[in-house]
Amino acid sequence: MLINYLKIAVKVLMRRKFFTFISLFAISFTLVILMIGVSLLDSTFGPGIPETRIDRTLGIFKIEMRCPEEECTWISPGGYKLFNRYFQNLPNIELMSLSTEADLSYSYHQGEKIPSYLKRTDGEFWKIMEFSFVEGGPITTEDERNANFVAVINTATRHKFFGDQQAVGRTIEVDGQRFRVVGVVDNVPYLRQIPFADIWVPISTYKTGLYRDQLMGNFIALIMAPSSADFPAIREEVQARLKQVEFPDPKQWNQISAHAETFFERSSREMTGTPAREASQPLRAMVLIFAAIMLFMLLPTINLININVSRIMERAGEIGVRKSFGASSWTLVGQFVLENVLLTLIGGAIGLILSRFALDAIAKTDFFPYASFQLNYRIFLYGLAMAVFFGLLSGVYPAWRMSRLHPVDALRGAVQGGVR
Amino acid sequence: MTTTSAAISQPLDTQAGVELMIRLEEVEKVYRTDRIETVALTNVNLAVRTGEFISIMGPSGSGKSTLLNIIGLLDVPSSGKVVINGRTINSYSDRNLSRVRNEEIGFIFQTFHLINDLSVQDNVEIPLLYRRSMTGGERRRLAQEALDRVGLSSRVHHFPSQLSGGQQQRVAIARAIVGKPRVLLADEPTGNLDSQMGDEIMDLLEGLNEQAGTTIIMVTHDPRQAEKTERIHRLFDGRQVN
Amino acid sequence: MIRHLLKLVWNRKRVNFLIMVEIFFSFIVVFAVIFMAVYSFDNYRKPLGFRYDDVWAIRVQNSQGMPEEDKVNQLATFRALLAATKEFPEVETAALTWLAPYGRGDWNSGRKSKDGSNFDIGQNLASDDLKEVLGLKVIRGRWFSREDDGVKNYKPVVINQKMADMMFGDEDPIGKNVAEPSRDNKPVEELRVVGVIEDYRNRGEFAEHRGFMFFRHDLQNSTEIHPQTIIIRVRPGTTAAFEEKLLKRLQAEASEWSIEIRPLTELRDRMLQQYLVPIAAFGLIAAFLLVMVGLGLTGVLWLNVTQRTKEIGLRRAKGATRHRIYRQILGEVLLIASFGVLIGVIVVVQFPLLDFFAFADPQIFAWAVGISLVMIYGLAILAGIYPSMLATRVVPAEALHYE
Repeated sequence: MLINYLKIAVKVLMRRKFFTFISLFAISFTLVILMIGVSLLDSTFGPGIPETRIDRTLGIFKIEMRCPEEECTWISPGGYKLFNRYFQNLPNIELMSLSTEADLSYSYHQGEKIPSYLKRTDGEFWKIMEFSFVEGGPITTEDERNANFVAVINTATRHKFFGDQQAVGRTIEVDGQRFRVVGVVDNVPYLRQIPFADIWVPISTYKTGLYRDQLMGNFIALIMAPSSADFPAIREEVQARLKQVEFPDPKQWNQISAHAETFFERSSREMTGTPAREASQPLRAMVLIFAAIMLFMLLPTINLININVSRIMERAGEIGVRKSFGASSWTLVGQFVLENVLLTLIGGAIGLILSRFALDAIAKTDFFPYASFQLNYRIFLYGLAMAVFFGLLSGVYPAWRMSRLHPVDALRGAVQGGVR
Repeated sequence: MTTTSAAISQPLDTQAGVELMIRLEEVEKVYRTDRIETVALTNVNLAVRTGEFISIMGPSGSGKSTLLNIIGLLDVPSSGKVVINGRTINSYSDRNLSRVRNEEIGFIFQTFHLINDLSVQDNVEIPLLYRRSMTGGERRRLAQEALDRVGLSSRVHHFPSQLSGGQQQRVAIARAIVGKPRVLLADEPTGNLDSQMGDEIMDLLEGLNEQAGTTIIMVTHDPRQAEKTERIHRLFDGRQVN
Repeated sequence: MIRHLLKLVWNRKRVNFLIMVEIFFSFIVVFAVIFMAVYSFDNYRKPLGFRYDDVWAIRVQNSQGMPEEDKVNQLATFRALLAATKEFPEVETAALTWLAPYGRGDWNSGRKSKDGSNFDIGQNLASDDLKEVLGLKVIRGRWFSREDDGVKNYKPVVINQKMADMMFGDEDPIGKNVAEPSRDNKPVEELRVVGVIEDYRNRGEFAEHRGFMFFRHDLQNSTEIHPQTIIIRVRPGTTAAFEEKLLKRLQAEASEWSIEIRPLTELRDRMLQQYLVPIAAFGLIAAFLLVMVGLGLTGVLWLNVTQRTKEIGLRRAKGATRHRIYRQILGEVLLIASFGVLIGVIVVVQFPLLDFFAFADPQIFAWAVGISLVMIYGLAILAGIYPSMLATRVVPAEALHYE
């Protein structure tokens, strides 16, 4: 039965090549755009080097302080003091790490100005993140404790400073400070906001020690648990710890809120504009993403439905014959939907190949530094699912229209008036 | 028409022994559009015994095709009763009608209506596709058998466009008989063929009627072909005339 | 003719409805992108109000923001840094401000316009030299000067023409108070307008054209908001080598501060990219969507014509010329498109009525609608040409052949 359907489907595709071209153009183009979107999402949220353990890692990314009248709020990443004093020895965790947000900093090298993103980390950061080292090793807990002026750099920075020669043991100057390179890692894509930087150095190499006394600052805390099953307990503990916070000037700021959240929850917060005092709404973010996809697919879907409905006439004779010999309407719906899904799968395959090129082109622009969009099996599965979904969406209505053709009219070839 | 009337006057459950294949009672068909009503059939009564070969004649627009479509369950009467092989068709659900069409009826059309995109073999297999639990091998075997029956077993891999009109109609007959239906409905089966090919097709239909005992109802314009059947029914303006 | 076409279109409403829906959504997509583009282009045409070539912004911050204490010391450091930049012959002039043009971040407040509606203005700090560094054009009154030293009771401010128009219309704004009235009727310090500049659009060429106001800062009063940026005009042709030299000198003056030197052209490129990339991306997607819709429409119309061979043949047999058939088919397409577009315009017009696009002139809106209309009709005609030509090739005899 399936083979019979496939034979017919292929024949129909070959018969009117212009229409097949239009359909495939629309489908593959639609899927290219969707694949680019999915690929961007995957390289932001999917596991990948160095974020290989995000399934069991939480972070505290944003802190919100409020003044007594609650009319003013101050939202920023946490300060060193907040985490250092109140978040020591959390139960049920494997590791906790502090690091700053990556900041632009400048070096002058042989008369040229080199901008790089600089991130300050402790030693634990390198145990939570699994960087892939090209040379040397990570910053250690001793480096942080002794304020050693050491740095890990990415290969792009190595290229700029040392022209691809060995860098470990040599020094680089950033923002007027000199660091000895101890390790070189593969470039981390900009989209992976938590580990991303060009140069990583110990926190304790800050120019002043002022950061140690601040509740608000530019630090994020990462908490790695043995497994995600420990998340609820950790989240509760974080809330309990926040209640212990003492405010230096309670007249100015006297309330604090924050959440330990997954990386996706962090982005959901930004996408949905959820304030830091409320829990993130990943579900709403997913609904938003889904709504955006649907909105984009609206026009391609109508377009394909339009073409498919117009082609009903071509198939009138076949529909009449099949109905005469016992095909029920639902059987025919199944057949035509299947045909459309087949079409979208072919379009999907073309789209997959095209999106490979499109993604390479996007990666070449410096809009997403160090992006290398891999078409991994996850993206392939998403693409497959989207193609099938698109096929169903654009196939069901025309198939229903076709199946409703009255067999007598269909055989007479007179379906001008449509369905009786 | 006396025999017919007699058969109809008997209640349904007492006629097991009479072996009626098709019975129409007071069938009426009216096409309604926004503005006008067109009466296609009025008060048609018809009884066809198992194994009979009858023809329906009448001028264009007399309703003979409509009648055939109603017998073939492709169209629904506005009122009246249709009984096929003892099953009273009172539920006109799509699923129900589809099953009866598939199991009991085979269609032959004036313009053959073969699917040009499918080979002869695939065309003949179509009715079998809609039978649950039939393997591909069985379908192929039955299709081969049916094509043997119409003398086209050497053309299984050809496409309809590579065949002559007579050959195409033979393929269509093979398709109609492949599911071993009890009734064949033929709508001007020789209408698009020259007289020699038409005669060949008629011979084939007569053979099926005599050897397999298949009940055949044929709509035709051609008195010469109608003469070859056991009975002739005439329609004029949607009414039966004698 | 039109009535006849209307009838034809109505009789095939099921097919035409889908085409209409497709045209409608295409119109919405085109309008969204065109509106963005027209709005940006209109902003781009307006004067920027300052010059960015050979201007460098030096962002100076205490590494960890500014704690409330120590403000007096910090101001002293800031003065020392400003003085240090002026040591170099490469630096023509130097001034201070809170946030450089094209910088990240913004400082806003609200005002009431003359007709009672609310609007946002941008704000910034300026020292007396800023006018010269950025080449600001004073069109009324004067820029800040030593005259303003030691004034009490009020603060001198300079506003841009847009803000003057919004708040005072044709009246002379000089000497007027532009302070934001407080909500709880506490007395508010007077902000007295001493001058009007042509413009200052700190977020760049593509950003919304809005009111702007400068406060004077003379690096003496530590209770005021502190400046964060030294802005300098360098001699044309000054290179990154000087940047390094300058940075070393400043870093020596304030070793614990974070200092970042960036030419405005660099900042400008980044900001323009932020505005242009989304327009380019959406424009590209919209263009692809239009090509897709155009091809799809061509296909649908083509099939429609082939299915109407009989009708067209009959018309030809009754004496319709080829030209007439061509016009009829194309006319039908345009009629269907008009329905789709009409609904689109009705929907789109709701936006300004509901105040969604209050930031944009009605004129821009009208332009965007107009351009979108032209594009959609252009698309419909392009898609209709081939099928209409096909229709003219129908031979009258075909009508009789057709069963």
